[in-house]
Amino acid sequence: MIDVKNISKTFKSHSTEVKALVNVTAKVDKGEVVVVLGPSGSGKSTFIRCLNYLNVADEGSIVIDGIDILDPKTDINKVRAEVGMVFQSFNLFPHKTVLENVTLAPIVVRKNSKEEAKKKGMALLEKVGILDKADVYPDQLSGGQQQRVAIARALAMEPKVMLFDEPTSALDPEMVGEVLDVMKNLAREGMTMVVVSHEMGFAREVADRVIFMDEGAVVEVGTPEHFFTNPTHERTKLFLSQIL
Amino acid sequence: MNFSSIPSLFKKSSAYYLWVCVFILIVLGITSSLYYSALKIDYVWRWYRIPQYFVYHDLVEIKAEITGEIESIQLKDEKAVIRVTGDGESESYTVPTSDIRLFEGDLISPGDILATYKKWRIGILMEGLWLTLKVSVIAIFFGIFIGLFTGIARISSNPALKWSAITYIEFIRGSPLLVQIFIWYFVLGTLINNILAIQGIHQIPPLWFGVAALAFFTGAYVAEMVRAGIQSIHFGQTEAAQSLGMTYIQSMRYIILPQALRRILPPLAGQFISLIKDSSLLGIIAIRELTKATREVITTSLQPFELWFVCAILYLILTFSLSMFVQYLERRTEIT
Repeated sequence: MIDVKNISKTFKSHSTEVKALVNVTAKVDKGEVVVVLGPSGSGKSTFIRCLNYLNVADEGSIVIDGIDILDPKTDINKVRAEVGMVFQSFNLFPHKTVLENVTLAPIVVRKNSKEEAKKKGMALLEKVGILDKADVYPDQLSGGQQQRVAIARALAMEPKVMLFDEPTSALDPEMVGEVLDVMKNLAREGMTMVVVSHEMGFAREVADRVIFMDEGAVVEVGTPEHFFTNPTHERTKLFLSQIL
Repeated sequence: MNFSSIPSLFKKSSAYYLWVCVFILIVLGITSSLYYSALKIDYVWRWYRIPQYFVYHDLVEIKAEITGEIESIQLKDEKAVIRVTGDGESESYTVPTSDIRLFEGDLISPGDILATYKKWRIGILMEGLWLTLKVSVIAIFFGIFIGLFTGIARISSNPALKWSAITYIEFIRGSPLLVQIFIWYFVLGTLINNILAIQGIHQIPPLWFGVAALAFFTGAYVAEMVRAGIQSIHFGQTEAAQSLGMTYIQSMRYIILPQALRRILPPLAGQFISLIKDSSLLGIIAIRELTKATREVITTSLQPFELWFVCAILYLILTFSLSMFVQYLERRTEIT
Protein backbone atom coordinates (compact mmCIF):
# COMPACT_ATOMS: atom_id res chain seq x y z
CA MET A 1 0.00 0.00 0.00
CA ILE A 2 2.75 2.41 1.00
CA ASP A 3 6.28 1.82 -0.19
CA VAL A 4 8.89 4.34 0.90
CA LYS A 5 12.41 3.95 -0.43
CA ASN A 6 15.45 5.90 0.72
CA ILE A 7 13.80 9.26 1.29
CA SER A 8 15.77 12.15 2.72
CA LYS A 9 14.63 15.60 3.71
CA THR A 10 16.70 18.59 4.80
CA PHE A 11 15.14 21.81 6.08
CA LYS A 12 17.25 24.75 5.05
CA SER A 13 17.05 28.26 6.40
CA HIS A 14 19.62 30.93 5.58
CA SER A 15 21.93 30.01 8.44
CA THR A 16 21.15 26.43 9.44
CA GLU A 17 20.48 23.08 7.90
CA VAL A 18 18.48 20.45 9.71
CA LYS A 19 18.55 16.89 8.44
CA ALA A 20 15.01 15.75 9.28
CA LEU A 21 15.06 12.48 7.37
CA VAL A 22 18.10 10.44 6.38
CA ASN A 23 17.64 7.57 3.95
CA VAL A 24 14.36 6.31 5.38
CA THR A 25 12.88 3.14 3.95
CA ALA A 26 9.57 1.71 5.14
CA LYS A 27 6.70 -0.38 3.94
CA VAL A 28 3.07 -0.54 5.01
CA ASP A 29 0.86 -3.34 3.73
CA LYS A 30 -2.87 -3.14 3.18
CA GLY A 31 -4.81 -3.46 6.43
CA GLU A 32 -1.71 -3.00 8.51
CA VAL A 33 -1.40 -0.63 11.47
CA VAL A 34 2.07 0.83 11.78
CA VAL A 35 2.99 3.00 14.75
CA VAL A 36 5.99 5.28 14.40
CA LEU A 37 7.74 5.97 17.70
CA GLY A 38 10.72 8.07 18.58
CA PRO A 39 11.93 10.96 20.70
CA SER A 40 10.90 14.46 19.67
CA GLY A 41 12.97 15.78 16.79
CA SER A 42 13.49 12.27 15.48
CA GLY A 43 11.80 13.07 12.14
CA LYS A 44 8.68 10.97 12.64
CA SER A 45 6.28 13.87 11.93
CA THR A 46 8.28 14.86 8.85
CA PHE A 47 8.10 11.25 7.71
CA ILE A 48 4.31 11.05 7.95
CA ARG A 49 3.88 14.51 6.37
CA CYS A 50 6.03 13.40 3.44
CA LEU A 51 3.55 10.58 2.80
CA ASN A 52 0.90 13.24 2.13
CA TYR A 53 3.21 15.61 0.23
CA LEU A 54 2.71 18.28 2.93
CA ASN A 55 6.48 18.05 3.16
CA VAL A 56 8.27 17.16 -0.04
CA ALA A 57 11.05 14.61 0.23
CA ASP A 58 14.29 15.80 -1.40
CA GLU A 59 15.17 12.37 -2.76
CA GLY A 60 14.03 8.77 -2.80
CA SER A 61 10.63 7.45 -3.83
CA ILE A 62 7.23 7.19 -2.19
CA VAL A 63 4.68 4.94 -3.85
CA ILE A 64 1.14 4.92 -2.49
CA ASP A 65 -1.33 2.42 -3.93
CA GLY A 66 0.85 2.10 -7.03
CA ILE A 67 1.23 5.86 -7.60
CA ASP A 68 4.64 7.52 -7.29
CA ILE A 69 3.73 10.74 -5.47
CA LEU A 70 7.14 12.37 -6.07
CA ASP A 71 6.67 12.06 -9.84
CA PRO A 72 5.97 15.61 -11.12
CA LYS A 73 3.29 14.21 -13.44
CA THR A 74 1.26 12.89 -10.52
CA ASP A 75 -1.85 14.89 -9.60
CA ILE A 76 -1.16 15.14 -5.88
CA ASN A 77 -4.74 16.19 -5.08
CA LYS A 78 -6.02 12.85 -6.40
CA VAL A 79 -3.59 11.00 -4.13
CA ARG A 80 -4.44 13.16 -1.12
CA ALA A 81 -8.14 12.45 -1.62
CA GLU A 82 -7.32 8.77 -1.02
CA VAL A 83 -5.11 9.43 1.99
CA GLY A 84 -6.80 10.71 5.15
CA MET A 85 -4.80 12.85 7.55
CA VAL A 86 -5.42 13.69 11.19
CA PHE A 87 -3.34 16.50 12.71
CA GLN A 88 -2.07 17.08 16.21
CA SER A 89 -3.92 20.42 16.39
CA PHE A 90 -7.13 19.09 14.74
CA ASN A 91 -7.24 21.94 12.15
CA LEU A 92 -11.02 21.85 11.92
CA PHE A 93 -12.60 24.62 9.86
CA PRO A 94 -13.86 27.07 12.51
CA HIS A 95 -16.35 28.80 10.20
CA LYS A 96 -18.16 25.56 9.36
CA THR A 97 -20.39 23.47 11.59
CA VAL A 98 -19.30 19.98 12.61
CA LEU A 99 -21.44 18.41 9.89
CA GLU A 100 -20.21 20.90 7.27
CA ASN A 101 -16.62 20.10 8.24
CA VAL A 102 -17.33 16.47 7.43
CA THR A 103 -19.37 16.99 4.24
CA LEU A 104 -17.37 19.81 2.60
CA ALA A 105 -14.64 17.74 0.95
CA PRO A 106 -16.99 14.99 -0.34
CA ILE A 107 -19.17 17.72 -1.92
CA VAL A 108 -16.34 19.87 -3.28
CA VAL A 109 -13.71 17.28 -4.17
CA ARG A 110 -15.72 14.10 -4.75
CA LYS A 111 -18.69 15.99 -6.24
CA ASN A 112 -21.12 14.01 -4.08
CA SER A 113 -24.65 15.40 -3.84
CA LYS A 114 -25.44 17.35 -0.69
CA GLU A 115 -27.99 14.78 0.52
CA GLU A 116 -25.61 11.90 -0.07
CA ALA A 117 -22.76 13.69 1.71
CA LYS A 118 -25.01 14.61 4.61
CA LYS A 119 -26.26 11.05 5.00
CA LYS A 120 -22.72 9.70 4.98
CA GLY A 121 -21.55 12.50 7.28
CA MET A 122 -24.23 11.77 9.86
CA ALA A 123 -23.33 8.08 9.78
CA LEU A 124 -19.66 8.94 10.38
CA LEU A 125 -20.50 11.33 13.23
CA GLU A 126 -22.51 8.54 14.81
CA LYS A 127 -19.57 6.21 14.38
CA VAL A 128 -17.22 8.59 16.24
CA GLY A 129 -19.93 9.20 18.85
CA ILE A 130 -20.61 12.87 18.22
CA LEU A 131 -23.90 12.87 16.32
CA ASP A 132 -25.59 15.23 18.81
CA LYS A 133 -23.07 17.98 18.00
CA ALA A 134 -23.64 17.95 14.23
CA ASP A 135 -24.88 21.54 14.05
CA VAL A 136 -22.52 23.28 16.46
CA TYR A 137 -19.23 24.99 15.58
CA PRO A 138 -15.91 23.33 16.44
CA ASP A 139 -15.01 26.00 19.02
CA GLN A 140 -17.75 24.71 21.28
CA LEU A 141 -16.33 21.20 21.42
CA SER A 142 -13.73 19.76 23.75
CA GLY A 143 -10.37 18.75 22.30
CA GLY A 144 -11.29 15.07 22.26
CA GLN A 145 -14.56 15.81 20.46
CA GLN A 146 -12.75 18.02 17.93
CA GLN A 147 -10.24 15.32 17.17
CA ARG A 148 -13.03 12.78 16.66
CA VAL A 149 -14.70 15.20 14.22
CA ALA A 150 -11.33 15.53 12.45
CA ILE A 151 -11.18 11.74 12.12
CA ALA A 152 -14.75 11.68 10.74
CA ARG A 153 -13.80 14.46 8.30
CA ALA A 154 -10.88 12.41 6.98
CA LEU A 155 -12.98 9.22 6.80
CA ALA A 156 -15.69 11.02 4.79
CA MET A 157 -13.37 10.87 1.78
CA GLU A 158 -13.35 7.06 2.11
CA PRO A 159 -9.56 6.97 2.15
CA LYS A 160 -7.48 3.87 1.53
CA VAL A 161 -4.94 4.90 4.16
CA MET A 162 -5.24 7.00 7.30
CA LEU A 163 -2.28 9.00 8.60
CA PHE A 164 -2.34 10.18 12.23
CA ASP A 165 0.22 12.80 13.22
CA GLU A 166 0.35 12.73 17.03
CA PRO A 167 -3.44 12.74 17.27
CA THR A 168 -3.56 12.76 21.08
CA SER A 169 -0.59 14.97 21.96
CA ALA A 170 -2.63 18.18 22.20
CA LEU A 171 -5.38 16.61 24.32
CA ASP A 172 -6.06 16.77 28.02
CA PRO A 173 -5.26 13.36 29.53
CA GLU A 174 -8.89 12.44 30.22
CA MET A 175 -9.75 12.87 26.54
CA VAL A 176 -7.03 10.70 25.08
CA GLY A 177 -9.04 7.54 25.64
CA GLU A 178 -12.06 8.52 23.55
CA VAL A 179 -9.86 9.32 20.54
CA LEU A 180 -7.81 6.15 20.89
CA ASP A 181 -11.05 4.13 21.09
CA VAL A 182 -12.16 5.50 17.74
CA MET A 183 -8.75 4.65 16.28
CA LYS A 184 -8.85 1.13 17.69
CA ASN A 185 -12.26 0.55 16.11
CA LEU A 186 -10.88 1.74 12.79
CA ALA A 187 -7.94 -0.65 13.10
CA ARG A 188 -10.31 -3.52 13.86
CA GLU A 189 -12.29 -2.72 10.71
CA GLY A 190 -9.12 -3.29 8.72
CA MET A 191 -8.16 0.29 7.88
CA THR A 192 -4.55 0.75 6.81
CA MET A 193 -3.07 3.18 9.32
CA VAL A 194 0.19 4.97 9.96
CA VAL A 195 0.24 6.50 13.43
CA VAL A 196 2.87 8.80 14.87
CA SER A 197 2.25 8.69 18.58
CA HIS A 198 3.62 8.62 22.08
CA GLU A 199 0.85 6.29 23.24
CA MET A 200 2.79 3.14 24.09
CA GLY A 201 -0.37 1.35 25.20
CA PHE A 202 -1.96 1.92 21.83
CA ALA A 203 1.19 0.74 20.03
CA ARG A 204 1.38 -2.39 22.12
CA GLU A 205 -2.31 -3.24 21.74
CA VAL A 206 -3.11 -2.27 18.15
CA ALA A 207 0.08 -2.03 16.11
CA ASP A 208 1.05 -4.76 13.70
CA ARG A 209 4.48 -3.24 13.49
CA VAL A 210 6.40 -0.54 15.26
CA ILE A 211 8.96 1.69 13.56
CA PHE A 212 11.42 3.37 15.89
CA MET A 213 13.13 6.47 14.57
CA ASP A 214 15.94 8.62 15.91
CA GLU A 215 17.78 11.56 14.36
CA GLY A 216 15.92 11.21 11.08
CA ALA A 217 16.71 7.57 10.54
CA VAL A 218 14.87 4.29 11.13
CA VAL A 219 16.63 2.53 14.01
CA GLU A 220 14.49 -0.53 14.50
CA VAL A 221 11.39 -2.14 12.99
CA GLY A 222 9.49 -5.00 14.56
CA THR A 223 6.35 -6.38 16.09
CA PRO A 224 5.23 -4.76 19.35
CA GLU A 225 6.24 -7.89 21.32
CA HIS A 226 9.73 -7.73 19.89
CA PHE A 227 9.96 -3.98 20.30
CA PHE A 228 8.76 -3.70 23.88
CA THR A 229 10.23 -6.90 25.34
CA ASN A 230 13.32 -7.65 23.37
CA PRO A 231 14.71 -4.62 21.50
CA THR A 232 18.02 -5.12 19.72
CA HIS A 233 19.43 -1.60 19.54
CA GLU A 234 20.94 0.31 22.43
CA ARG A 235 19.11 3.49 21.36
CA THR A 236 15.76 1.70 21.52
CA LYS A 237 16.56 0.32 24.95
CA LEU A 238 17.49 3.78 26.19
CA PHE A 239 14.25 5.27 24.77
CA LEU A 240 12.12 2.58 26.37
CA SER A 241 13.88 2.94 29.70
CA GLN A 242 13.15 6.66 29.63
CA ILE A 243 9.45 6.38 28.92
CA LEU A 244 8.31 3.18 30.58
CA MET B 1 -32.94 40.84 27.74
CA ASN B 2 -30.22 40.81 30.32
CA PHE B 3 -31.79 42.01 33.54
CA SER B 4 -28.60 41.88 35.52
CA SER B 5 -27.27 44.83 33.50
CA ILE B 6 -30.13 47.15 34.46
CA PRO B 7 -29.12 47.92 38.06
CA SER B 8 -25.59 48.72 36.87
CA LEU B 9 -27.03 51.63 34.88
CA PHE B 10 -27.94 53.30 38.13
CA LYS B 11 -24.83 52.28 39.98
CA LYS B 12 -22.54 54.69 38.12
CA SER B 13 -20.65 56.97 40.46
CA SER B 14 -21.48 60.65 40.70
CA ALA B 15 -18.12 61.46 39.10
CA TYR B 16 -19.38 59.70 35.98
CA TYR B 17 -22.37 62.03 35.73
CA LEU B 18 -20.15 65.02 36.38
CA TRP B 19 -18.09 64.15 33.31
CA VAL B 20 -21.24 63.58 31.25
CA CYS B 21 -22.17 67.17 32.15
CA VAL B 22 -18.70 68.34 31.15
CA PHE B 23 -19.17 66.70 27.75
CA ILE B 24 -22.54 68.40 27.23
CA LEU B 25 -21.00 71.73 28.25
CA ILE B 26 -18.17 71.30 25.73
CA VAL B 27 -20.66 70.65 22.91
CA LEU B 28 -22.85 73.59 23.94
CA GLY B 29 -19.79 75.80 24.34
CA ILE B 30 -18.49 75.12 20.84
CA THR B 31 -21.94 75.59 19.31
CA SER B 32 -22.68 78.84 21.09
CA SER B 33 -19.23 80.34 20.49
CA LEU B 34 -19.69 79.56 16.80
CA TYR B 35 -23.07 81.26 16.83
CA TYR B 36 -21.72 84.23 18.79
CA SER B 37 -18.78 84.69 16.40
CA ALA B 38 -21.16 84.59 13.44
CA LEU B 39 -23.24 87.33 15.05
CA LYS B 40 -20.09 89.46 15.45
CA ILE B 41 -19.50 89.44 11.70
CA ASP B 42 -23.18 90.09 10.95
CA TYR B 43 -23.76 86.68 9.45
CA VAL B 44 -27.48 86.03 9.08
CA TRP B 45 -28.38 82.41 9.54
CA ARG B 46 -31.13 81.39 7.12
CA TRP B 47 -31.77 77.73 7.77
CA TYR B 48 -35.23 78.02 6.21
CA ARG B 49 -33.57 78.41 2.82
CA ILE B 50 -31.88 75.03 3.00
CA PRO B 51 -34.77 72.55 2.41
CA GLN B 52 -35.39 73.89 -1.11
CA TYR B 53 -32.04 72.42 -2.17
CA PHE B 54 -33.33 68.95 -1.26
CA VAL B 55 -36.84 69.14 -2.74
CA TYR B 56 -38.77 72.13 -3.98
CA HIS B 57 -42.20 72.95 -5.32
CA ASP B 58 -41.56 74.03 -8.87
CA LEU B 59 -44.02 76.17 -10.88
CA VAL B 60 -44.52 74.65 -14.32
CA GLU B 61 -45.94 76.91 -17.03
CA ILE B 62 -47.69 75.54 -20.11
CA LYS B 63 -47.26 77.92 -23.03
CA ALA B 64 -49.00 78.16 -26.38
CA GLU B 65 -46.94 77.36 -29.47
CA ILE B 66 -49.14 78.84 -32.23
CA THR B 67 -51.18 81.96 -32.93
CA GLY B 68 -54.95 81.45 -32.78
CA GLU B 69 -58.09 81.35 -30.76
CA ILE B 70 -59.08 79.07 -27.93
CA GLU B 71 -61.82 76.96 -29.45
CA SER B 72 -62.81 74.92 -26.43
CA ILE B 73 -61.84 74.01 -22.88
CA GLN B 74 -63.22 70.63 -21.89
CA LEU B 75 -62.91 69.27 -18.37
CA LYS B 76 -62.15 65.61 -18.21
CA ASP B 77 -61.12 63.61 -15.06
CA GLU B 78 -59.63 66.63 -13.22
CA LYS B 79 -57.72 67.58 -16.34
CA ALA B 80 -58.67 70.15 -18.93
CA VAL B 81 -58.16 69.78 -22.67
CA ILE B 82 -57.56 73.15 -24.31
CA ARG B 83 -58.01 73.26 -28.08
CA VAL B 84 -56.40 76.12 -29.97
CA THR B 85 -57.08 76.76 -33.70
CA GLY B 86 -55.81 79.40 -36.07
CA ASP B 87 -54.33 79.75 -39.58
CA GLY B 88 -55.34 76.25 -40.52
CA GLU B 89 -53.38 74.80 -37.59
CA SER B 90 -54.77 73.33 -34.43
CA GLU B 91 -53.18 72.14 -31.20
CA SER B 92 -54.57 70.65 -28.02
CA TYR B 93 -53.01 70.79 -24.57
CA THR B 94 -53.95 68.63 -21.61
CA VAL B 95 -53.38 70.61 -18.39
CA PRO B 96 -54.28 70.29 -14.68
CA THR B 97 -57.30 72.41 -13.78
CA SER B 98 -55.63 74.13 -10.80
CA ASP B 99 -54.68 77.37 -12.57
CA ILE B 100 -56.13 77.87 -16.07
CA ARG B 101 -55.37 81.45 -17.09
CA LEU B 102 -57.58 81.83 -20.19
CA PHE B 103 -61.17 81.40 -21.38
CA GLU B 104 -62.85 80.07 -24.51
CA GLY B 105 -62.65 82.64 -27.31
CA ASP B 106 -59.41 84.33 -26.12
CA LEU B 107 -56.90 85.20 -28.81
CA ILE B 108 -53.38 83.98 -28.15
CA SER B 109 -49.92 84.14 -29.67
CA PRO B 110 -46.91 81.82 -29.11
CA GLY B 111 -45.47 82.10 -25.61
CA ASP B 112 -48.72 83.01 -23.88
CA ILE B 113 -49.22 81.09 -20.66
CA LEU B 114 -52.23 78.80 -20.92
CA ALA B 115 -52.04 77.28 -17.46
CA THR B 116 -49.64 76.63 -14.60
CA TYR B 117 -49.31 73.91 -12.02
CA LYS B 118 -46.94 73.02 -9.22
CA LYS B 119 -44.74 69.97 -9.09
CA TRP B 120 -42.24 68.57 -6.56
CA ARG B 121 -38.69 68.40 -7.89
CA ILE B 122 -35.46 66.98 -6.51
CA GLY B 123 -33.02 69.73 -5.45
CA ILE B 124 -29.36 69.99 -6.37
CA LEU B 125 -28.05 68.81 -2.99
CA MET B 126 -30.18 65.68 -3.21
CA GLU B 127 -28.87 65.05 -6.73
CA GLY B 128 -25.32 65.50 -5.43
CA LEU B 129 -25.94 63.12 -2.55
CA TRP B 130 -27.37 60.54 -4.93
CA LEU B 131 -24.36 60.86 -7.26
CA THR B 132 -21.92 60.52 -4.35
CA LEU B 133 -23.76 57.39 -3.23
CA LYS B 134 -23.79 55.95 -6.75
CA VAL B 135 -20.10 56.64 -7.40
CA SER B 136 -19.12 55.22 -4.01
CA VAL B 137 -21.17 52.04 -4.34
CA ILE B 138 -19.80 51.28 -7.81
CA ALA B 139 -16.22 52.06 -6.74
CA ILE B 140 -16.55 49.89 -3.60
CA PHE B 141 -17.92 47.03 -5.68
CA PHE B 142 -15.03 47.12 -8.17
CA GLY B 143 -12.53 47.94 -5.40
CA ILE B 144 -13.42 44.68 -3.63
CA PHE B 145 -12.84 42.65 -6.79
CA ILE B 146 -9.59 44.40 -7.68
CA GLY B 147 -8.39 44.09 -4.08
CA LEU B 148 -9.30 40.42 -3.83
CA PHE B 149 -7.46 39.42 -6.99
CA THR B 150 -4.48 41.68 -6.35
CA GLY B 151 -4.23 40.50 -2.74
CA ILE B 152 -4.11 36.86 -3.86
CA ALA B 153 -1.68 37.71 -6.68
CA ARG B 154 0.49 39.53 -4.13
CA ILE B 155 1.24 36.28 -2.26
CA SER B 156 1.47 34.14 -5.39
CA SER B 157 4.77 32.42 -6.13
CA ASN B 158 4.42 33.38 -9.82
CA PRO B 159 6.73 36.41 -10.29
CA ALA B 160 4.58 37.93 -13.08
CA LEU B 161 1.54 38.01 -10.79
CA LYS B 162 3.43 38.94 -7.65
CA TRP B 163 5.50 41.75 -9.14
CA SER B 164 2.54 43.18 -11.06
CA ALA B 165 0.58 43.29 -7.82
CA ILE B 166 3.45 44.91 -5.89
CA THR B 167 4.06 47.51 -8.62
CA TYR B 168 0.37 48.41 -8.78
CA ILE B 169 0.02 48.64 -4.99
CA GLU B 170 3.15 50.76 -4.54
CA PHE B 171 2.26 53.14 -7.39
CA ILE B 172 -1.25 53.71 -6.09
CA ARG B 173 -0.30 54.04 -2.44
CA GLY B 174 2.65 56.26 -3.24
CA SER B 175 0.87 59.02 -5.17
CA PRO B 176 -1.92 61.42 -4.17
CA LEU B 177 -5.45 60.48 -5.12
CA LEU B 178 -5.94 63.95 -6.58
CA VAL B 179 -3.09 63.33 -9.02
CA GLN B 180 -4.48 59.91 -9.87
CA ILE B 181 -7.88 61.44 -10.67
CA PHE B 182 -6.16 63.93 -13.00
CA ILE B 183 -4.25 61.12 -14.68
CA TRP B 184 -7.41 59.05 -15.15
CA TYR B 185 -9.36 61.99 -16.54
CA PHE B 186 -6.83 64.05 -18.50
CA VAL B 187 -4.39 61.35 -19.64
CA LEU B 188 -6.13 57.99 -19.77
CA GLY B 189 -9.51 59.63 -20.43
CA THR B 190 -8.18 61.58 -23.40
CA LEU B 191 -6.38 58.54 -24.82
CA ILE B 192 -9.33 56.19 -24.40
CA ASN B 193 -11.94 58.62 -25.69
CA ASN B 194 -9.79 59.54 -28.72
CA ILE B 195 -9.30 55.91 -29.62
CA LEU B 196 -13.04 55.33 -29.19
CA ALA B 197 -13.75 58.37 -31.41
CA ILE B 198 -11.47 56.98 -34.13
CA GLN B 199 -13.35 53.67 -33.93
CA GLY B 200 -16.64 55.58 -34.06
CA ILE B 201 -17.77 54.33 -30.64
CA HIS B 202 -19.56 56.41 -27.97
CA GLN B 203 -17.44 58.50 -25.60
CA ILE B 204 -17.08 57.47 -21.95
CA PRO B 205 -18.39 60.22 -19.64
CA PRO B 206 -16.08 61.67 -16.91
CA LEU B 207 -18.08 59.87 -14.23
CA TRP B 208 -16.55 56.53 -15.18
CA PHE B 209 -12.98 57.83 -15.07
CA GLY B 210 -13.75 59.15 -11.59
CA VAL B 211 -15.16 55.78 -10.56
CA ALA B 212 -12.10 54.02 -12.02
CA ALA B 213 -9.72 56.31 -10.10
CA LEU B 214 -11.53 55.60 -6.83
CA ALA B 215 -11.89 51.85 -7.48
CA PHE B 216 -8.21 51.35 -8.34
CA PHE B 217 -7.14 53.55 -5.44
CA THR B 218 -9.27 51.56 -2.99
CA GLY B 219 -8.30 48.25 -4.63
CA ALA B 220 -4.63 48.76 -3.70
CA TYR B 221 -5.47 49.21 -0.02
CA VAL B 222 -7.98 46.37 -0.02
CA ALA B 223 -5.32 44.15 -1.62
CA GLU B 224 -2.93 44.70 1.29
CA MET B 225 -5.74 43.95 3.74
CA VAL B 226 -6.67 40.77 1.88
CA ARG B 227 -3.02 39.71 1.89
CA ALA B 228 -2.72 40.33 5.63
CA GLY B 229 -6.05 38.54 6.20
CA ILE B 230 -4.97 35.45 4.28
CA GLN B 231 -1.58 35.35 5.99
CA SER B 232 -3.24 35.65 9.39
CA ILE B 233 -5.12 32.38 8.89
CA HIS B 234 -3.19 29.54 10.51
CA PHE B 235 -1.30 27.42 8.00
CA GLY B 236 -2.93 24.31 9.47
CA GLN B 237 -6.15 25.35 7.72
CA THR B 238 -4.47 25.20 4.32
CA GLU B 239 -2.85 21.88 5.21
CA ALA B 240 -6.16 20.41 6.34
CA ALA B 241 -7.82 21.52 3.11
CA GLN B 242 -4.93 20.15 1.04
CA SER B 243 -4.91 16.85 2.90
CA LEU B 244 -8.57 16.39 1.89
CA GLY B 245 -7.55 16.70 -1.76
CA MET B 246 -8.73 20.28 -2.32
CA THR B 247 -7.03 22.30 -5.03
CA TYR B 248 -5.54 25.73 -4.31
CA ILE B 249 -8.64 27.47 -5.63
CA GLN B 250 -11.00 25.24 -3.62
CA SER B 251 -9.10 25.76 -0.38
CA MET B 252 -9.03 29.53 -0.99
CA ARG B 253 -12.71 29.69 -1.79
CA TYR B 254 -14.13 27.43 0.90
CA ILE B 255 -11.59 27.61 3.71
CA ILE B 256 -9.18 30.55 3.66
CA LEU B 257 -11.06 33.50 2.14
CA PRO B 258 -14.27 33.14 4.19
CA GLN B 259 -12.20 33.27 7.37
CA ALA B 260 -9.85 36.00 6.12
CA LEU B 261 -12.66 38.28 4.89
CA ARG B 262 -14.48 38.04 8.18
CA ARG B 263 -11.29 39.03 9.96
CA ILE B 264 -10.61 42.08 7.75
CA LEU B 265 -14.18 43.44 7.82
CA PRO B 266 -13.39 46.24 10.33
CA PRO B 267 -10.41 47.68 8.39
CA LEU B 268 -12.36 47.24 5.13
CA ALA B 269 -15.18 49.33 6.58
CA GLY B 270 -12.66 52.07 7.41
CA GLN B 271 -11.32 51.96 3.87
CA PHE B 272 -14.79 52.25 2.32
CA ILE B 273 -15.66 55.14 4.63
CA SER B 274 -12.50 56.84 3.35
CA LEU B 275 -13.63 56.16 -0.21
CA ILE B 276 -16.99 57.88 0.35
CA LYS B 277 -15.17 60.93 1.70
CA ASP B 278 -12.51 60.85 -1.05
CA SER B 279 -15.26 60.94 -3.68
CA SER B 280 -15.53 64.65 -2.78
CA LEU B 281 -12.40 65.15 -4.92
CA LEU B 282 -14.29 64.15 -8.06
CA GLY B 283 -15.77 67.66 -8.32
CA ILE B 284 -12.51 68.74 -9.98
CA ILE B 285 -13.29 66.67 -13.08
CA ALA B 286 -16.79 68.13 -13.43
CA ILE B 287 -18.67 65.38 -11.62
CA ARG B 288 -21.40 67.14 -9.62
CA GLU B 289 -21.24 65.02 -6.48
CA LEU B 290 -22.21 66.30 -3.06
CA THR B 291 -19.26 68.66 -2.45
CA LYS B 292 -19.40 70.20 -5.90
CA ALA B 293 -23.19 70.55 -5.61
CA THR B 294 -22.74 72.31 -2.26
CA ARG B 295 -20.23 74.75 -3.78
CA GLU B 296 -22.63 75.52 -6.60
CA VAL B 297 -25.49 76.15 -4.18
CA ILE B 298 -23.26 78.44 -2.13
CA THR B 299 -22.41 80.59 -5.14
CA THR B 300 -26.11 81.23 -5.72
CA SER B 301 -27.45 81.32 -2.15
CA LEU B 302 -24.51 82.96 -0.34
CA GLN B 303 -25.23 80.86 2.79
CA PRO B 304 -21.88 79.05 3.18
CA PHE B 305 -22.15 78.40 6.93
CA GLU B 306 -25.39 76.45 6.82
CA LEU B 307 -24.54 74.64 3.59
CA TRP B 308 -21.12 73.35 4.64
CA PHE B 309 -22.61 72.01 7.84
CA VAL B 310 -25.40 70.34 5.87
CA CYS B 311 -22.83 68.91 3.47
CA ALA B 312 -20.78 67.47 6.34
CA ILE B 313 -23.88 65.95 7.94
CA LEU B 314 -24.93 64.34 4.66
CA TYR B 315 -21.50 62.67 4.39
CA LEU B 316 -21.85 61.59 8.00
CA ILE B 317 -25.20 59.97 7.21
CA LEU B 318 -23.60 57.96 4.37
CA THR B 319 -20.52 56.90 6.32
CA PHE B 320 -22.44 56.12 9.50
CA SER B 321 -24.95 53.94 7.60
CA LEU B 322 -22.06 52.03 6.02
CA SER B 323 -20.42 51.59 9.38
CA MET B 324 -23.69 50.26 10.85
CA PHE B 325 -24.11 47.90 7.90
CA VAL B 326 -20.61 46.46 8.39
CA GLN B 327 -21.23 46.01 12.10
CA TYR B 328 -24.37 44.10 11.19
CA LEU B 329 -22.32 41.92 8.82
CA GLU B 330 -19.77 41.29 11.55
CA ARG B 331 -22.48 40.17 13.95
CA ARG B 332 -24.13 38.02 11.32
CA THR B 333 -20.91 36.20 10.41
CA GLU B 334 -19.86 35.79 14.01
CA ILE B 335 -19.20 32.15 14.87
CA THR B 336 -21.15 31.18 17.95
